[in-house]
Amino acid sequence: MRFHKLLLIVILFLVSCSQKAPIYEHKDFIFGTIVDIKIYGETEEKSENISNLIFNDFKRLHNYLHPWEKSLISSMNNAIAAGSVFNVDDEEIIRIIQDNKNLASKSENYFNPAIGKLIALWGFHQELPNQMVPKAHQINELLANVTTMDDLKINQSTLSSANRNFQLDLGGYAKGYALDRAKKILANNGVANALVNIGGNIIAIGMHGDRSWIVGIQHPRKPSAIASIQLPPGWSIGTSGDYQRYFMDHDKRYSHLINPRTGFPADNSQSATIMIPPANNSGALSDAYSKPLFIAPEIEKLQLADKLGIDFFMVVLANGDILISSKMNESIQWLEQNNEKNITVH
Amino acid sequence: MKKILQYIKIIKLGDTFVIVTFMGLIFWSVSQSWNMPSGQYLKIENNQEDSKVFSLNQTVNKQVIGFLGSSEISIAEGKVRFVKSPCTKKYCIHHGWINKINQTIVCLPNQITISIVGDSESYDTVNY
Repeated sequence: MRFHKLLLIVILFLVSCSQKAPIYEHKDFIFGTIVDIKIYGETEEKSENISNLIFNDFKRLHNYLHPWEKSLISSMNNAIAAGSVFNVDDEEIIRIIQDNKNLASKSENYFNPAIGKLIALWGFHQELPNQMVPKAHQINELLANVTTMDDLKINQSTLSSANRNFQLDLGGYAKGYALDRAKKILANNGVANALVNIGGNIIAIGMHGDRSWIVGIQHPRKPSAIASIQLPPGWSIGTSGDYQRYFMDHDKRYSHLINPRTGFPADNSQSATIMIPPANNSGALSDAYSKPLFIAPEIEKLQLADKLGIDFFMVVLANGDILISSKMNESIQWLEQNNEKNITVH
Repeated sequence: MKKILQYIKIIKLGDTFVIVTFMGLIFWSVSQSWNMPSGQYLKIENNQEDSKVFSLNQTVNKQVIGFLGSSEISIAEGKVRFVKSPCTKKYCIHHGWINKINQTIVCLPNQITISIVGDSESYDTVNY
């Protein structure tokens, strides 16, 4: 009898050891990247159903906002290039455009979704970039009359632009916007704890059990993380980097992050990471506002961060030095030796 | 003490053979696995089926079917890399070896992810 009791205790102990955290993970390829959804503490069936709802919404957004494949946005771009007025019977797109106007003007147009034509000229409007530096006169032509969101006029449900070079490219916004959509879908379905990662843009919903979700921050030049940080409930994190979409020409790196003021890919940073506190549009902000911090010259980065109210940021500069805000520096866990690196705390 | 001596006395030639063989076998297997990483595994994900986990303690090449076709990965003594891929830019191959927990190589065109996972993951996801 005593032996049986002992056996029972041992079995219970072993069973409790092997029990894994109730996490369900779903991955898919959308927006030309990996989408990874982790749901904590729900049944497998429920988490699968809700993941499918989210993936379906992402597919809808992909077909709706895609900058160069057939979509509502490319139809609008075509209409504007032809000098005609575009009618949209769609509140969501008007809201999205208003939001982009607002973010672009606040960021002094360092976040500029109106330069689709320039981005296409650099060959980044295709899955595989051209790998060719455009001719100077081609860049200068577009730069002479650089398009901004102000060029797009909204008149109730019609969109038009006097500048026929205007081409909307939401590549720096759509993934963040999708995070905010995912947050809504999770909330509407009563999921309290989840982590959504769209090609590196991440939003944390609730927690991982009794701790916050933890995010690794990719090293821009190594196949590993440079640091990790806790992402508290409702927060979003976004990185702009020159290591995902780029090409090399004569040993020089040309990334997809084009500086609207020079017409060339920004080359003063390797990556810029920002964290945005809970807000209705925190996902969109974490996507869009990482661009100004990546693109702007070093001195302006700090002023822009202050102006945009970004308290948590880290920029890996072109020479590998790190510029980090004091709040980010307090919460970050460095994962690799930074002996040779210069870290400046702002 | 006396008892132990008694046992030693009853060991015969055949017993010695068995003992030596097994001690040799134990020594060999320990030396084989001594430098192998413990608690970390290779996870392969593609667009077709559920993710699969493999031991890193082997030296083998594996074919993985992706969106474009078949990619080949090589596992060797705790590390793993892409060696062949039908994608055009071959970023996945140029990435080289990975051997630490949470390191990942993604081949976006062929929709294959290989990553090293472990018992003690230090974070939940990666921001890039």
